[in-house]
Amino acid sequence: MKVELKIWRYDTSTGERALRPYEVDVTEEATLLDTLDAVRDRLDGSLAYRKSCRMMICGSCGMRVDGGAVLACKTRIADVVADGHVPVVSAMGNLPIVKDLVVDMDPFWQKMRAVQPYLEPRLDRATEKENVVAQEQMDMIHKESLCINCGCCVSECNSMESDPDFLGPAALAKGFRFVGDARDGATIDRLERYSEEHGIWDCTRCYFCNERCPKGVDPRDAIAKLGAEAMKAGIDRDMGARHAKWFVTSAKTTGWLRETELVPKTQGVVKAIKEIKFAMSLLPKGKIPLPFPPHVAADIGESRALFDLVTDQGRSGAAGIVQGEKALMHLAHHGESVDGPSHPYDDPRSFPKPYLPDEEPAT
Amino acid sequence: MKQVAYYKGCLASLSAKELDISTQALAPKVGYELIELESVTCCGAGDIHEAEPDYYLHLNARILSYAAATGADTLMTVCNVCTLNLRQANHQLLNDAALRERVNDNLEQVGVPRYEQDVDCVHFLWLVAGESFGKLQEVAHKGLRGLRIAPFYGCQILRPSKLMGFDDPDKPDSLERIIAACGGEAIDYPAKIKCCGFPIIQAREETALAELIQPIEQAKEAGADAMVTPCPLCHLSLDAWQSKLKKQTGKDFQMPIFHLSQLIGVAAGLEDAELRFKRHVVSMQPVLEKLAL
Repeated sequence: MKVELKIWRYDTSTGERALRPYEVDVTEEATLLDTLDAVRDRLDGSLAYRKSCRMMICGSCGMRVDGGAVLACKTRIADVVADGHVPVVSAMGNLPIVKDLVVDMDPFWQKMRAVQPYLEPRLDRATEKENVVAQEQMDMIHKESLCINCGCCVSECNSMESDPDFLGPAALAKGFRFVGDARDGATIDRLERYSEEHGIWDCTRCYFCNERCPKGVDPRDAIAKLGAEAMKAGIDRDMGARHAKWFVTSAKTTGWLRETELVPKTQGVVKAIKEIKFAMSLLPKGKIPLPFPPHVAADIGESRALFDLVTDQGRSGAAGIVQGEKALMHLAHHGESVDGPSHPYDDPRSFPKPYLPDEEPAT
Repeated sequence: MKQVAYYKGCLASLSAKELDISTQALAPKVGYELIELESVTCCGAGDIHEAEPDYYLHLNARILSYAAATGADTLMTVCNVCTLNLRQANHQLLNDAALRERVNDNLEQVGVPRYEQDVDCVHFLWLVAGESFGKLQEVAHKGLRGLRIAPFYGCQILRPSKLMGFDDPDKPDSLERIIAACGGEAIDYPAKIKCCGFPIIQAREETALAELIQPIEQAKEAGADAMVTPCPLCHLSLDAWQSKLKKQTGKDFQMPIFHLSQLIGVAAGLEDAELRFKRHVVSMQPVLEKLAL
């Protein structure tokens, strides 16, 4: 199969940057990584890109195709070039380019280091019996444990683009992997640290990380879980946490968001006063709805009663998000197949299906 | 005329009333009778999902239950954030019988009907770009007279695509098709699928403004007469926070911002009182003059 693609080349020694076209023959089953191998082996030995396992485990080959981060080894080139499309391959975003498709992962690892990505055991010595962790407790961090540190989530992170110091989706998801771990003893310290400036509350909820993650970690959901655990632990000084809290208060009291009071409740009265000039400019347009008389939803008692009822049912904090994951599990992102192929042995080209001694051999 | 349950959400109820008014006026023209939900609350806007996730699920289940009680099989939203929150909760409830049972027991206990009859939650954009696109083409005959419009999708109507799934999240085209059907010219620019910064505009203003300026600046440079968005939160930041961008960067964009229902409304000949452009912070006058309205 003939494949045309363009690659953004970057030469660190000269600073030269150019979009170069390539045409190469590959098999139907070839991945983007196979295609790059072909380009390098046959056309241009100077093309730089990272690779190692070729099977979606090592996280080395993150790069952009048409502006979106993918693992090159997970991407079938035939899907990308369908209908004569000529893809543009470039280095991931939000990280400095070293050469061609290779980025400097150092800022990524620094943020990873900042969340202390290792267990700080709650139990520092052996007890009489082993400390058993139930499967349900490990299920809490199942998704976050799937991360392979490829950086695809970071590549299009909108908050990090505007604030390069933002810890970002990969590091925060790693943070929840330990906050949610029943064996970890540093939960409160972690939540305090992650709640600082450039942490949990800097996420702008653009959901690019969930969209890009090739392993189904859903980092945005992990950040929400951290927020939920922080608030549960009473760590809610940050303006982002106060903002979130006001929505809960609004839902309980009037049912609808009390928009005008949201500013002082989030920013504090002193800072809000500085915003008065801005607020006054919006007032005549009806953008600052007056809080009195309050706009109260019908049957608001139900919404209040629901709050009182569910807060006692043991699903507070991150557990409230994790409980929904079972239903979300089988969903696939745009362009991905949901169920995949049926059983591999159902394929007529497959080897005969293995059988146990008391079974009939498959025909 | 198809009956759909209508959840307008917080902003369209209060600070973005013009969105509600224009939607109510436009809906019958494109084939929908809106049944407004009375006993509903805020969807939580991602904030309750983060602060009290279990409460978020119950609040949204309650909205879905009252939508089902109208007898309609479709719940229509006019906000990206409401759409994601409701679709996410709905998906969890429809695909986990045990979870739905627990939530329904709780709803029943506080006097809310159980959520039994499934409803599908869809954004108004998906209806007019989908099943009623033909109707839209019929009513949009007054046209936008070649007006150059920059579509701005916002985040939570595209991503996560596994929950949304109407448009290709990286190459959406529903707004472009609508603009063309209304006789306008769609402007292309990279930031049309990026974040407007609204969720953190109060807690992290500097970061949010650095996000907000991208679509407005790119649209301006591409020669847009105005922008259009399907989300009232995006609308609020694009429209009301332009003055903050001016203060911070010295750039005065004066970019008029349409709600989706207003843009179609103009092409469909809605009256002034149904469009309520006077409620916008950035004047819509230059655009209206071009249209000679």
